[in-house]
Amino acid sequence: MTLPADFIVVSILGPAIVMLVFAMITLLFAVFQVDRSATASMALVGVGTAAVFALHLLMKGQQGAAEAGFGLRYLGDTPATAFTLVILLGTALAILVSEADLSRLGLDHPEYYPLMLLSATGAIVLASAGDLITLLLGLEIMSLAVYALAAWRQGSRQSEEAGMKYFLLGAFASALLIYGIALTFGAGGRFDYAGLAAAFSAPGFDAHVLALLGAVLLLAGLGFKVAFAPFHQWLPDVYTGAPTPVTTFMSVVVKTAAFAALLRIASTVFASLGAGPLGELLPIMLGILIGATLIVGNFGALLQSGVKRMLAYSAVAHAGYLGLAVLAADTVGTNAAIFYLTAYTLMTAGAFAVLSAITNADDRGDEIERFAGLAARRPFLAASLAIVLMSLAGLPPFAGFVGKLLVFQAAISAGYVALAVLGIATSVVAVVYYARVITYMYFRESDQETIRPLAPTLRIAVVIAVVGTIALGILPGFWYGLVERGQVLLAGF
Amino acid sequence: MRAGPAEVVPTEYYVALSALVFAIGAVGVLTRRSAIMIFLSVELMLNAANLALVAYARQWAAAGTLVGITGQTAVFIILAVAAAEVAVGLGILVAIFRRRVSTDVDTLAEVRL
Repeated sequence: MTLPADFIVVSILGPAIVMLVFAMITLLFAVFQVDRSATASMALVGVGTAAVFALHLLMKGQQGAAEAGFGLRYLGDTPATAFTLVILLGTALAILVSEADLSRLGLDHPEYYPLMLLSATGAIVLASAGDLITLLLGLEIMSLAVYALAAWRQGSRQSEEAGMKYFLLGAFASALLIYGIALTFGAGGRFDYAGLAAAFSAPGFDAHVLALLGAVLLLAGLGFKVAFAPFHQWLPDVYTGAPTPVTTFMSVVVKTAAFAALLRIASTVFASLGAGPLGELLPIMLGILIGATLIVGNFGALLQSGVKRMLAYSAVAHAGYLGLAVLAADTVGTNAAIFYLTAYTLMTAGAFAVLSAITNADDRGDEIERFAGLAARRPFLAASLAIVLMSLAGLPPFAGFVGKLLVFQAAISAGYVALAVLGIATSVVAVVYYARVITYMYFRESDQETIRPLAPTLRIAVVIAVVGTIALGILPGFWYGLVERGQVLLAGF
Repeated sequence: MRAGPAEVVPTEYYVALSALVFAIGAVGVLTRRSAIMIFLSVELMLNAANLALVAYARQWAAAGTLVGITGQTAVFIILAVAAAEVAVGLGILVAIFRRRVSTDVDTLAEVRL
């Protein structure tokens, strides 16, 4: 068997290869015991270089010349590169937070940055996958590194527990996903999304039950990664137990990559099943998951007294809002999700960055009382946190508002009005728990000791997050337009 | 002596066995309390998927719609993934339970503050 001449396209692998190379370079730094700040700088250089490659691909998509190689199994079109850029942004913010925090927390082991870059490599592969096997490889490369990072704090029961829980449940979810891949292969005889979608919508196709079972298992496996209820139960424990810099990374990068993969599968494989006799079942199931996620996430966050745990539940709630875009399963939904995840990355990383400036040396102490009177003691931190929290709550004029607007629009135009209404209703609940923190910061007196000075890299991370949140809120068209004008391969099945 | 086409075991048998193994693994994950047993159950689920993949690969190859090697290549990739999972998982397991007496996952209940 000979391959077509244009089968291997190296350029679309650019961002992933760059990240891999820099992971190896930082690993060499670790071997030769180079200074930790130099390692962090090198990791940032790697992220920047990868971003240049991704931007180049994005520009190609703008001109309608998006590339895909390997028989559409690895994609370089606009959603893939836009998600890659969001992943790189999240990685850069996580590196900045880590650099400020690792030595303070005593987590300064040299393998940290290599693992983070490797995980980001996997995330990029996952976001660019056009094939179930590519998807699996990306997911595992990303997850295996994060399992190790979650258990990073040796000797802390919390952190070890987070790592173990994440690993056991993650392995279980991978097993569900892999069995789903096997069943989907049994039904369609292919692994690539394009081939599967063609096979499922072919006139003589009769393995509907098998294909549906496969799709349900795929949904369950990915639903675990994006934390749809009832697969969300690991998330609050893992986010709370992991060191804050790692939580920052997990909450933005892992979520973005998993949603990128889910969106792509939903708009190709799942959509092609929609025309079949059992086609309505899958959207109904997804709708139930999303409704449960919205309710569990928002009301769960309402009940938390720790801010880190509140942010963890809010991550579940945001998975619900993003789920609305998945349900739409079209280009409008994907574009909405790209914007939402960009905003989400900025606001969440900003919130965790501020949190890491406030918690104790052992990474504990995230009780809401600690935020009392913060506005008087640290006006910069308090104002930054207030802005990102208002954005997370979806208040204008911040990025979160535009993100929610786009997602609700996508859901309504795809006909899911009831779920969109539920989303809007739960958004009101969300305002309560975000506003509670702001109230504590601005309207409560406290006799708390003044907290330590802010590390310069942490300040940079917070400034990027806040400026990004405001800029995307006021001028959403700059980024959304870029995404909207782009080219989507693999759509319209 | 090679079995003729008439004596070939039908794909459904393999798939039924694989579904059974998968179910045993899933039940194991949900009911066992030892981290090592949970992990072994996950391995069972992965191997069930491999069995299904090989069976389907043979079926599709016999139907002539694709190169028979596609599904079998996937099995190798999944084996590699499983091996990587073992390496990382056992690493975390050892790191944790060096300081603890048992591998019972119920002792992992610190985080709920």
